[in-house]
Amino acid sequence: MLDANAQEPPLVQMSEIYKHFGGVHAVEGVSVDLYPGEVVGVLGHNGAGKSCLMQILSGAMIPNGGEIYVNGQEADLKSPHDAKKFGIETIYQTLALANHLDAAQNLFLGRELKTRFGNLDEARMHTEAQDALRQLNPNFKNLKDPVAKLSGGQRQVIAIARAIYFQAKVLIMDEPTAALGPSETAMVADLTLRLKDEGIGIFLISHDMHDVFDLCDRVMVMNKGRNVGTFRIEDVNKDDILSLIIKGTLPDGWAPRGGSK
Amino acid sequence: MSNTNGNTKLRFLPTGSSLHKLSALLTLLLLILAFSFTSPAFLSVNNGLTVLLQTSVIGLLAIGMTLVIITGGIDLSVGSVLALSGVVTGLAIKAGLPVMPAMAFGIIAGAFCGFINGLVITKLRITPFVATLGMMMIARGVALQLTGAAPISRLGEAFGQLGNGSFFRIVEMQANGFPKVIFPGIPYPAVLLVVMALIGGFLLQRRQIGRHIFSVGSNEEAARLSGVKVDRTKIWAYTASGALAGLAGMVLMSRLVTVQPNEGVMYELDAIAASVIGGASLMGGVGSISGSMIGAFIIGVLRNGLNMAGTSAFIQQIIIGIVVIGAVYIDQIRNRN
Repeated sequence: MLDANAQEPPLVQMSEIYKHFGGVHAVEGVSVDLYPGEVVGVLGHNGAGKSCLMQILSGAMIPNGGEIYVNGQEADLKSPHDAKKFGIETIYQTLALANHLDAAQNLFLGRELKTRFGNLDEARMHTEAQDALRQLNPNFKNLKDPVAKLSGGQRQVIAIARAIYFQAKVLIMDEPTAALGPSETAMVADLTLRLKDEGIGIFLISHDMHDVFDLCDRVMVMNKGRNVGTFRIEDVNKDDILSLIIKGTLPDGWAPRGGSK
Repeated sequence: MSNTNGNTKLRFLPTGSSLHKLSALLTLLLLILAFSFTSPAFLSVNNGLTVLLQTSVIGLLAIGMTLVIITGGIDLSVGSVLALSGVVTGLAIKAGLPVMPAMAFGIIAGAFCGFINGLVITKLRITPFVATLGMMMIARGVALQLTGAAPISRLGEAFGQLGNGSFFRIVEMQANGFPKVIFPGIPYPAVLLVVMALIGGFLLQRRQIGRHIFSVGSNEEAARLSGVKVDRTKIWAYTASGALAGLAGMVLMSRLVTVQPNEGVMYELDAIAASVIGGASLMGGVGSISGSMIGAFIIGVLRNGLNMAGTSAFIQQIIIGIVVIGAVYIDQIRNRN
């Protein structure tokens, strides 16, 4: 997988990213890349800087230093709006839904469909949203209810539908299954693999080692704001990753495991 | 208004905000009915038009206030901005400008005050309460300073047109040479209020800016992450509120045919009360222009009806205060179910 991609330019290249809040260095000189059709797991403790790094890529946070290239083109991401223009979509851990609006209104928030007079095209947004949501969950009803009234799973489906409806090239998934039950988690895993097959690059933030080993092609571990290692998933096992997450180093005497999980 | 518990299970009944609007409308009709009994002169064409005229100023302020409240903010400056806009127009007329451009100038001054509110709130990150409280004092101070606290009068007949003129006024000359008013006409301010309410409702429900106003009030962070330009949306709402305060100032000062720098004190509270009675939530994300118009008329009818029934102004304050608290309390009970 990786070898085949090596000749292609990376979809996303983040190099030497810095972010600090006053004296706190949240991200220190982190570089990471992502190829089309690849899932890269971003791992680390709470506060290791992984969410911060991903928020920089999604335009929600402006870095203090470093460069981001998307498809080889330098991307200056000053707002989520800018990131979306580069095809970078994010499924936030908080879902980022406006509780008083309904599913369609949330799905198209900030990118409303309009009639030729510039009015909101509610009818078209409603049918498009219905199609997009039913693809993920055929039983999706209550499209007209404010999302505050929907279940956690339904809310998650809206957040996912919003990310993929607009033809994302790069997808950032921040703990996409944290609020879900087993069947919905399986649905998200299936979806991740399907999107990967379509050539979308995915950054997956997760604490769930099962998800990581099932879905990821590579993992990148952060510790105290630094990238302490990027590995092909075949080369590491669960203990190696835990050691990186906790200590920031590999176990003594580590050698690439070469697929012997 | 209180018999709404339990109805939420029945699907065919209106729910949520439309239910609130319906109950507010019902309250308004009950008030009109009650006052018709207490005072025979209440239910007449003439008095109806008077209520319309009196409510138009609060109504205009309430439209802007509703936009701001839906974003999760508040605008305490509208009463003072109203006065400052009037003063700007009065001085412009005194400086030789014709009435129409002078009024436009006044409305622009109001919009500018609102724009400053928006900038202070978004760029300096001052909470809306404090920012508009400051503007309330600043605008009032400027209005008083510019005029030396004295009213500006003798502004000419044309200045009084907007506040005192009306459509379809029918006057018949009697045999004795005195005119007799057959139909007093629909006052310009009432027409202006309807037009502005329709525009406001249209922007809020059918345009992108309205959708963004709701999203900002509902979940500001979500709106930002979704690509909504939160700062721009807020500045837009406060500027609209300022412009509408300016317009309300034109109507009020024109009706008096005098510019009073002391006018409009505490009007912001009536406008807030109208929005809240109409179902707007000070937490943001909820509200409607139609609801606020009903709220404005509830206040207007209460004032007028209590006046005609001979209730003192002090008692009126007490009653309106109770109505505001009652409306919000009933809304909360319903939301808990």
